[in-house]
Amino acid sequence: MSGAVVTRTSTRGLRVDVRLFGIAVVIAAAVGYLLYTGLQGTAASYFVTVSELQAKAESVDGRRVRVGGDVVAGSIVRGGPADPIRFRISDGSSELEVVYAGVLPDIFAEGRHVIVEGLYRSGQPIQADSVLTQCPSRFEAMPTAPTS
Amino acid sequence: MAHLGSGALILALILAIYGMVASLLGARRRVPELLQSGYRATYAVAFLVAVALIALVIAFVRHDFRLAYVAGRSSRDMPLHYVIAAFYGGQEGSLLYWTLVASGLGALALYLHRRSDRTLLPYMNATLLSVVTFLLLVLTVVSSPFRLLPVTPPDGAGLNPLLRDPGMMAHPPLLLSGYAGFTVPFAFGMAALITGRLGSDWLRAIRRWTLLAWTLLGLGLLIGAWWAYHVLGWGGYWGWDPVENLALLPWLTSTAFLHSVIVQERRGMLKVWNLALLLATFALSIFGTFIVRSGMLSSVHAFAVSSIGHWFLSFLALVLVVGIGLLVYRLPGLQSERQIESVSSREAGFLYNNLLLTAMAFAVFWGTTFPLFSELFWDTRITVGPPFYNRVVGPLLLVLLLLMAIGPLLAWRRTDVRLLLHNVRWPAMTGIVVGLIGLVAFSRPWAAAAYAVTMIAAGVTLQEFWRGIQARRRNARENVFLAAWELLRRNNRRYGGYLVHLAILLMAVGIIASNAFQLERQFVLRPGEQGTIGPYTVVYRGLEDRRMADAEIVAAQVDIYRGQRYAGTVESFRFFYRNYEDQPTARMGIKLVGMDDVYVVLDRWQDDGMASLRVYVNPLVIWIWIGGVVFVLGTLTLFWPQPVPALLRVPQSVVGATSEA
Repeated sequence: MSGAVVTRTSTRGLRVDVRLFGIAVVIAAAVGYLLYTGLQGTAASYFVTVSELQAKAESVDGRRVRVGGDVVAGSIVRGGPADPIRFRISDGSSELEVVYAGVLPDIFAEGRHVIVEGLYRSGQPIQADSVLTQCPSRFEAMPTAPTS
Repeated sequence: MAHLGSGALILALILAIYGMVASLLGARRRVPELLQSGYRATYAVAFLVAVALIALVIAFVRHDFRLAYVAGRSSRDMPLHYVIAAFYGGQEGSLLYWTLVASGLGALALYLHRRSDRTLLPYMNATLLSVVTFLLLVLTVVSSPFRLLPVTPPDGAGLNPLLRDPGMMAHPPLLLSGYAGFTVPFAFGMAALITGRLGSDWLRAIRRWTLLAWTLLGLGLLIGAWWAYHVLGWGGYWGWDPVENLALLPWLTSTAFLHSVIVQERRGMLKVWNLALLLATFALSIFGTFIVRSGMLSSVHAFAVSSIGHWFLSFLALVLVVGIGLLVYRLPGLQSERQIESVSSREAGFLYNNLLLTAMAFAVFWGTTFPLFSELFWDTRITVGPPFYNRVVGPLLLVLLLLMAIGPLLAWRRTDVRLLLHNVRWPAMTGIVVGLIGLVAFSRPWAAAAYAVTMIAAGVTLQEFWRGIQARRRNARENVFLAAWELLRRNNRRYGGYLVHLAILLMAVGIIASNAFQLERQFVLRPGEQGTIGPYTVVYRGLEDRRMADAEIVAAQVDIYRGQRYAGTVESFRFFYRNYEDQPTARMGIKLVGMDDVYVVLDRWQDDGMASLRVYVNPLVIWIWIGGVVFVLGTLTLFWPQPVPALLRVPQSVVGATSEA
């Protein structure tokens, strides 16, 4: 009698476990699906240096790229308030022309390391829709040497 | 001061190692004196770290530029509160602060639990001190805040302008306390695993300490969002930046823990899972602290890249190996006392909640570290941006909100579905009406669905409050306000939790609106000219130059009209700080008109006053900050001291109530 009760509860327990497992699998599959389509459908971009970009210009033509490099001194053309900003970034060996129409981050300047992101068409300046600045040297600034 | 500080740190390091060894030896050989001495070592370590920190603050206040750290982050013309806040403005100081919070909270936990959990405490102490030892090792060997400069400069470089903001006073200390605070529950968890005392007696302590760290981290995140909104001119409060994501991760896993620990307390289930969450939370805190300094991910939080990354990576590996190893070793002792009996029970509901929260954490982790892994496997670094996160986390969040609506109505063991439907009918109908109105009025299906779900969840939560209040009014003959007060005081865990749910729902109102209905336009205007955005007209009045002790300021004045009616004037600034003239730091002009934030960024300008302004209209963002206030109230309720254990109290009040009736 008691044995029968035990088996009944344990089979039901098993059934619940199976259903819970099923729900967990559904959630995991949904997350997997979201991750996959998220990666395919949204603007995932190739993160490259300037030379890498030029080396594989063919394969990334027409795709979103994210390029890191230093702003070349003297290359910034700000124009009037209405014009987009133009500048070049370099990784030491090659240079890339950038056009950007948004608000520049506060810490954008010549010589700073920036990461620009946008659509790449080979042979054209990159139309950036985001410019990130990185400035290790400044957040960990050394004190100004006594001038004079 | 430098000698005092570094001396205190070295002494603290020695004591921490001693205390660790003493605790372990004392516990193995059963020598109470050794254990006592181990605890005293922890108190002394906390004291010495505090001394070091105070020495550093004094060095800042006295402008002691012999210290490289002080000279690099402060200057004589900075206001005093930023000079003091500058002590956590860099890596060394923030790590020192981390160490202080970890050792200080650890010492407090030892003191508060000194009469209970006797067998756990030595191991808890040893775990705590091993974390502190690691941090002190980094602080004394690799990156000491007390390093001296060969030549003392006459003035310091000053704090980076981006950090000179009221947000600096609150965001970093809260966030770092949150990270560091997870050390204490982690230490308790490891102690439980080492001793094999895996019953529920340690759960109360762990839950409370996790709650503390979770609250601090949550507040840190919120104030960080507020800061970003005011200072970084992209019109938003959350950019899915790697550093933000990494701070969100331990918050998500600890939120999961705070829910699933209830199941373990009530039903003795999910033990392995809870310990794994605890371990993951602490590991993610360490990961978040370390990876921003490793230079492995590109972020707006441009920390200095330093060698410290390797230390943290090794420590992280050690934590994971020891933690997972112990968990596997103790697996046989961690069997559930009961099984889940039904897929619609409350324990199953908590399980779904946990699955969703960890799935969200996983998705965010995946996206954040994807550049690293894609480089490893496919030889190209692929980065993902905000659209990816919105697309992945958005639907999960929606399901989680739906669960928040149903969860409070589920019963332990088994739920009567008819009763559930009966209870949810009014909130569900309200939600569906709201959704349909939204669909017709705005034709944005996603936003309408999100508002419908938010409305249902809010309805259910408020209904729970109302029922609790009604029950008290009937039984204890209290008026509405007294009943609400007593409900929160006596049943603080349940209704404090619901307050936090309401806070999340209020934030959801703002988050959905600002994602779906944000307007953005760029104007190039001469003084006196105007532009329109949505129902608003902005009139640019011109630029004004001002001067502060440490900066020159350009202010653009903009009048805002809604339709024909004048709504107010905002000023949007650019600050040119001394030493940072090439970094014109923005302060947004934000004007709340009705429920809309009109948000003005001064972009560029010419000498004749012509300027380009970027204007955003962010609807309902104010509800995010209102939700933040409710969040604070809810967590305060959760910490409401319970003078007499609840078990003793319940029968008394019932007796009192019946005799009155």
